[in-house]
Amino acid sequence: MTGLRFGYGSNGFANHRLGDALAVIADLGYSGVALTLDHAHLDPFADDLPRQLDAVRTELAARNLAVVVETGARYLLDPRRKHHPTLVSDDGRDRRVDLLRRAVRIAAELGAECVSFWSGILPPGADADTGWRRLAQGVGEVLDEAQRHGVPLGLEPEPGMFVERLDDAFELRKRLGDPELLGITLDVGHCVAVEPSSAAECVRLAGELLVNVQLDDMRPNVHEHLEFGEGNLDLPATLGALVEVGYRGLAAVELPRHSHAAPEVAARAATALRAAEWLAGATRRIRTTPDAVRTLFPAAGRHCGRGPLHPAGDPNGLVHGTVDDAARVAMLAALRDASTSPEVTAEVGDLYRYGDDAEKRGVLRGLPAVDGALPVDAGLELVRDALRSNDTRLVAAALGPYAAAHLDQHGWRHGVLKCLFVGVPLAAVAGLDRRADAELHRMVADFAAERLAAGRVVPPDGLALLALLAREWQGASERPLPLTTPVPAGHHDTEGTS
Amino acid sequence: MRIFDPHIHMTSRTTDDYERMHAAGVRALVEPAFWLGQPRTNVGSFTDYFDGLIGWERFRAAQFGIRHHCTIALNPKEANDSRCAEVLDVLPRYLAKDGVVAVGEIGYDSMTPAEDDAFAAQLALAVEHELPALVHTPHRDKITGTRRSLDLVRSSGIDPGRVIIDHLNEVTVELVLESGCWMAFSIYPDTKMDPDRMVKILQRYGLDRMLVNSAADWGRSDPLRTLRTGETMLAAGFTADDVDAVLWRNPVAFYGQSGRLVLDGLPGFGGSSAADTFAGNSVLRGARV
Repeated sequence: MTGLRFGYGSNGFANHRLGDALAVIADLGYSGVALTLDHAHLDPFADDLPRQLDAVRTELAARNLAVVVETGARYLLDPRRKHHPTLVSDDGRDRRVDLLRRAVRIAAELGAECVSFWSGILPPGADADTGWRRLAQGVGEVLDEAQRHGVPLGLEPEPGMFVERLDDAFELRKRLGDPELLGITLDVGHCVAVEPSSAAECVRLAGELLVNVQLDDMRPNVHEHLEFGEGNLDLPATLGALVEVGYRGLAAVELPRHSHAAPEVAARAATALRAAEWLAGATRRIRTTPDAVRTLFPAAGRHCGRGPLHPAGDPNGLVHGTVDDAARVAMLAALRDASTSPEVTAEVGDLYRYGDDAEKRGVLRGLPAVDGALPVDAGLELVRDALRSNDTRLVAAALGPYAAAHLDQHGWRHGVLKCLFVGVPLAAVAGLDRRADAELHRMVADFAAERLAAGRVVPPDGLALLALLAREWQGASERPLPLTTPVPAGHHDTEGTS
Repeated sequence: MRIFDPHIHMTSRTTDDYERMHAAGVRALVEPAFWLGQPRTNVGSFTDYFDGLIGWERFRAAQFGIRHHCTIALNPKEANDSRCAEVLDVLPRYLAKDGVVAVGEIGYDSMTPAEDDAFAAQLALAVEHELPALVHTPHRDKITGTRRSLDLVRSSGIDPGRVIIDHLNEVTVELVLESGCWMAFSIYPDTKMDPDRMVKILQRYGLDRMLVNSAADWGRSDPLRTLRTGETMLAAGFTADDVDAVLWRNPVAFYGQSGRLVLDGLPGFGGSSAADTFAGNSVLRGARV
């Protein structure tokens, strides 16, 4: 759909024989492999390297896998010091240059699309000028080899290293006179961790210089490679940016600390990539042809999945929503960008009117994304419709930040009470602390008293809310509550069938 | 015996029927959009009905352990009412929905020009939305209607392997057999097929591309005619595997072409852990503790 080609990094299969790793990666539908030269995977110092190269080349061709060569092995040059020596070390820099030149020759032998490398950590005591000088010299020597073989190089900014951010990589290119064969490897997780702008924006900044992309999730300021969905990366937006800049290289999953469960992790990543790619294509289409939202919006669950966004604490997606909810929110944001306010109003109304329960939920969760383009009256009409329904997920989605910002106090209070009534966790109610008042306290207290009078239990959420409100609105309810009945979890009323 | 009823109008049936169907082995069904006894007079009446097919009825079926899918279309009889023609404009939205596994019922009632237009337009929609099509053959002048339907299917360019021609009988089956379309038979008291005649057709023409449905609706009909046909097949010497092919694997293969069949077990029916709600709906069957 987008023309992107996904690969998987062999360093995420460190416990597999290389041939086995290639088989698993190909069988999962990946188009290529980012091959880290390491002692167990095509050791560039092995005596029988030519024979190994033959075998790997045959294997790649048989499985129709593209390849890029990665050089980030931890203990290939020094068994005691991780990554040592580097291009900016005090000593041994020539050994790193030698490794990279070997990598270039191996890449040429394999028909690899590029050789990727990083700068290394600047030793204490060395100043920036020294760093630039060492780096320029080493990269210059590797570039000579690259020229001879016509293999592009990709310099990867790496958190904590001398070249840490994109800007540093641009600086080195400038110092070397913008050599044609010196491109950039971008790890999109690193962007989340250390770049000042989003991964998608970094993709746009690197633009035509991109020769290699690594895909993984990450949290800000933490250099830990995570599976998709575990960090803050906006994967669909990032893939969308790759399509936008016309990137044609390999985008390979980089999870070097997940080798213990590689096949499962790689399968999950493939699923996440397919979903994100579909969504990237969908939002792109909506931006050019807004009417396309009419058929893409209903299809989100089939392509992106329907599970909860945060299964651990929110198994039913009532609080944070579901994967398809998030996809639909992204589509609404695209619709807003591509349409006038009256168009947004008409389309959002129709998406809700003609939507099934999941689509209606997606519209409700997307209301903040169209706020401003959609008149508040029109948005509240949908919120009120949802609050009349019997669907717990619609009720939960209706009481998000949009209702917290716009819904009248009477309607909002009844929404909160309805949550208690039908079993929506109050964590789903945005702005509860801010908007709760004495009247809500009275309503919840009466609800609890009525339940107790009937010999029934008060939901734990109701008790928690009462305790919260009691602190704030002490004395608002004159009726003391005999809250001594033990409260089993998970019981709630229905709204009746007719 | 596991049963997939590929054509039944559950909107018109009671919860007792759902219970009996589950007890009989029905685990999945397709409810085609069709006419109600009372004619509709506007597009809104259709959209509320479609909303029910993709929402409420799916929920209702799930409470009885049955996976509900539907087909969406402007039916041939109401295609003749100009007040309803605009429903064609909203169909693309519904054809994109989860659980919509075909365009249907389309076809002929009285074979009017208006029916020609609606039929052709909706075959084109099936191609565009990559969905199979469910074609109803008329009660009156059935042979002519079946021939004309097959002609229109051929000229539409849709793959005949993605088309069901429904409500067939002894006089129309051979026309469809040659066409490559799937052959469906409604086992419906008095007006359509019965189990004994159905078994004879299966004995004569084999099990390939054969579908058996109850077509139960608001008329005098029986949602367990699928089960009865299975029993009659066994009594006539067909194997349990033959019955499974006709009553489960064939409809799964046909409607599976939509890519939208969901056949996992339902919460509370052994397939997965019991849940309080189905798709978030808090209105549940029976009294709650």
